[in-house]
This record gives sequence, structure tokens and C-alpha cells, in this order.
Amino acid sequence: MTLALILVSILVATTLGLVVRNRGRLPLLLGICTLAVYAFQPVLPVRSLDFWLPTGTLALATLAWVLTTPQEQRSWRVNWPAAVILIGIVLVLGLTRFLGFSVYLTASRPPQTLQILAALAVVTLIAFLLTRFTKPGRAILTGAFVLIILLFIILKVPTLATLVSMGLRRLNQQATSLALAQDLRWLGFSYIAFRLLHTIRDRQSGRLPVVSLSEYVVYVIFFPGLTAGPIDRIERFVGDLRRPLTLTTDDLGESGKRLVLGLFKKFVIADVLSMIALNATNALQVHLAGWAWVLLYAYAFQLYFDFSGYTDIAIGLGRLLGIKLPENFNAPYLKPNLTQFWNNWHMTLTQWFRAYFFNPVTRALRSGKKPLPIPVVIFITQLGTMVLIGLWHGVTVNFFVWGLWHGLGLFFHNRWSELTRPRFATLSPRWQKALNVGGILVTFNFVAIGWVFFALPNLSISVNYLRVLFGLA
Amino acid sequence: MTDTIFEKLATYITTEFLKQPGRILKPDEPLLSSGLVDSFHLVDLSLFVESNFGVRIDDAELNASSFDNLDQLTKFIKDRQ
Repeated sequence: MTLALILVSILVATTLGLVVRNRGRLPLLLGICTLAVYAFQPVLPVRSLDFWLPTGTLALATLAWVLTTPQEQRSWRVNWPAAVILIGIVLVLGLTRFLGFSVYLTASRPPQTLQILAALAVVTLIAFLLTRFTKPGRAILTGAFVLIILLFIILKVPTLATLVSMGLRRLNQQATSLALAQDLRWLGFSYIAFRLLHTIRDRQSGRLPVVSLSEYVVYVIFFPGLTAGPIDRIERFVGDLRRPLTLTTDDLGESGKRLVLGLFKKFVIADVLSMIALNATNALQVHLAGWAWVLLYAYAFQLYFDFSGYTDIAIGLGRLLGIKLPENFNAPYLKPNLTQFWNNWHMTLTQWFRAYFFNPVTRALRSGKKPLPIPVVIFITQLGTMVLIGLWHGVTVNFFVWGLWHGLGLFFHNRWSELTRPRFATLSPRWQKALNVGGILVTFNFVAIGWVFFALPNLSISVNYLRVLFGLA
Repeated sequence: MTDTIFEKLATYITTEFLKQPGRILKPDEPLLSSGLVDSFHLVDLSLFVESNFGVRIDDAELNASSFDNLDQLTKFIKDRQ
């Protein structure tokens, strides 16, 4: 996201929080978040795709609301304003194609109005049919869950994404030979998909609160967390949304602090570090181990300051709008072991995976008729969780290896901790402090070595870089 | 009753997870955020709570924002009983 877009977001959130306050807060938020889905979407080379993908986000959120809301709560009388806002904004944005100038709300010129009308008619018809003829039953919710995962896989597997891009280019009579996986860069989809999956799973387990269409869509596309999270939980988010907005000086101070801190981390520290941080180009140019470590450490800190800077900005913006978004980072590089690192790095993502993968799988393996031995269960669940977290970033060999690296690290730390915990507990405070410092250094370097697979595009460059790091090249 | 829940939980955690049966856990001592109880133990703890106190803790609730110390966990169980 550009600095200009962030500054406009700050201006909008400040106006909403300080001037508009509670007058028409929810419809206004819905309108602004809907506009943001289009405004934040980067330009794509496939014709009109940068209009259709944000429209797809709105369609997915609307249909997911229909599917996860009890039949008696889908009242048209309550929810028609939200439907009108959503359809109205899509139509108005579509009509801007007839203006002779750009309004900066869509990445490029919107497609033909007739196409937009047809797409809106199809989505409205599906929503109508689902409303009239379905209850949020187990089978249909599982179907929706699987469909979102499939969509996720198509977008994250480079070969599949390239094939889809070729198909779309053919439809648009564009050169198929130029198709790339990056052609399908769907802004915020990774986060949006996980919010949708969370609500679908919670509807299945009966934990999902009943929310209106406006509340649901604002939760899914809340503009401060659209591009880089955090992944909030709907019951917490809607609780904040329903509370009257009363901004205190504390809120303003905290918001201002997080915004300034976030902008500084992202646009000063991270951007300066990016000049020497490890990337696919400089990885091939470095031949000395010392410089290789400098590049790698610069990457480790650039990634942290960039991502945690975005989170600070999201939290600061949310605070102005009365939403206390969850924290995503808590000094992860200062943790004494890998388990603690993962409790404090991208926390909302790891909490999501714990809630919907690690915990249910561990519970099933531990409470069956013949429970598996503890080390086997830990091996399966830690490796499974971390490989999935790796693949969430992209279905490539490197992300798989990165997940494996951390999964194995967590497994070995767990076994080591089981063995040594009673012994270490009896050590003097001075020894415990020394162990703590040693743990921080080992953990940081373990994580940094893992970033080699994360930062570089393929296995051969990564292995070669590891050789340089350890003086074996 | 509260004391019994507290005692049972404390004994279970110190014996099974920490392997220090003599250790005294304070009611407000952080368990999850401090790393004393890891994510694997947390699932075992929820199974222990379910079989001993008849209270089911949902998978999505197994985190430090639901409870982070023995006091909070005891209250969590009592509220659901």
C-alpha cells in the first residue's frame, strides 16, 4: 500500500471518528470499506480484472453472510440498506468509465456497464435462491468451506494461477504468452478467505453470533486490516462495532502513537533496510559469509518492521473508528525459544491455525480409542500446522521447506523442553538469565536461517546461499 | 468447590506439564503468555477439564485471551458449570 493511500485512510478514519461519530456510522463504514476494496486493488494486466476481483470479494462476503445466517435472521426489512449500498457503489464505480478523467477509486477503467449489471444480477439471483431455499446446514457450509479453499489453492499455486490468467487473457483477446501468476493478485484475499472460513466453521459449531449483512461485510473488508491483517474474530469485532463510538483523549493518543510508530517502522526503518536486505538479485552477488549474514539480518529486520509497521497503522486506524484490532506482534525476536517466537509473530494467523487445525487435530489424536504416543502427535500436528502456514504464503517448494524448517524446530524444541524443564527450573537465577540470553540468540538465528527459504524464489538459490552463509561455497 | 477446581488444575499442571510436583502456582501467574503451558499441553488441559469438570472448552477458546492464569481458568469453568 502506498504512503498516499495510507494518509488518505488516516484522514478518512479521523473524519469518521471525530466528526461523523455515531451518525450513520455503520452504513458509512460499509460504504467506505466497499470503496476501499476497489481503491486499494493494484492495477492488473488482464483487462478489467482489477474491477472484477474486488467485486468478487463483495460477492463472496455477501454470499457467505447468507450461508452463515439463520433463515429467520436474513430479513430483507433489516438488511436492504446494506444491499442497496453494496450494489449502488458497484454501479456508480462502474459508471465512472464514462467520465473523461480518472477518479482514483478503481485501478483502471471499469468494464462495460452491461457486464457489471449482468454480474450483479447473477450474484443477486444466487443470494436470493440461497435465502429462499437453504438453511445453513452442515453440507452446504462444508461445500462453501471447500470452495474457498479451492479458490485459495488456484490463486496460490503459480502454475494454476498462470493457467487461469491464460484463460482470462484468451477471453479478453489478450496475448496468452504473457500470462503470469502475478496477474491474479487479489488484494487482501488471503486475509478475507480466513475471515470467511472462520465464520463458516463457527456457524457449523454453533458459536457464530447473529450479525446483520452490514456488520458481516464490514468485518470481512474492514479497510484498516484489508491488505495485511490482522485477522480478527467476528464476535470481538462486532462487539466493538455495536458499542457507541466515544473517542477519549486516551484513544486519540494511542491511535496517534501507533500511526506515527507504524509509518516510521514501515517507511523509514523497513524501507532503508530494504536497500541491503536479502533478495533474489543480491543473493547471487554475495560470496563472503560476513556480508551474507548482514543481508540476511537486514532482511529479518526489514520483514519485521514492514509487517509490524502495517499492523501498527491498522491498529491506529481501527482505534479512530472504535475498533480495537488484535495485536499481531509482541517483540518476537526477543523470545528465548521457537515456541515463544510463534506465540508472538503474526499472532492472529497462528491463533487461527491453532483454533481450526492444530487444536481439533490434536484433540482427535489424543482422545481416540487408541491414543497415539505424545511425541508422534506433536510431530504430526506441529509439522502439519507449520507446513500449512508456509503454504498459506504461496504453494511453492520454498514455502513448504520454510514450514518444514519451523515445524521440525518446534518439535525438537518441545522434546528438548520436556527433557530439560525440571533440571533448568532448579538452576540459579544467574544461570537462568544466561540461558535466556543464549536462547534468544539461538532462536533469532534459527528464524533468520529459515528466512532464506522465505525470501528467495527457489530451492537451488536458497541452498547455494546457505553454503555462502556457512563458508561452504 | 472453587478451591477444589483450583487445586486439581494446579496439581495437574505442575505434575503433568511442568514435571515439578512441589511447585506452587500463584493464582495470577501467567501460564500461556509466559510459555509455561504450550499449545499442545493446552489441548490436554482442555481434555482434563472436560473429563473432570464436565465443561467443554471450544478449540477457538484455547488461547490467552480466554484465560491466562489459574484464577481465570477456574472462573471460566465455574461460569460454565
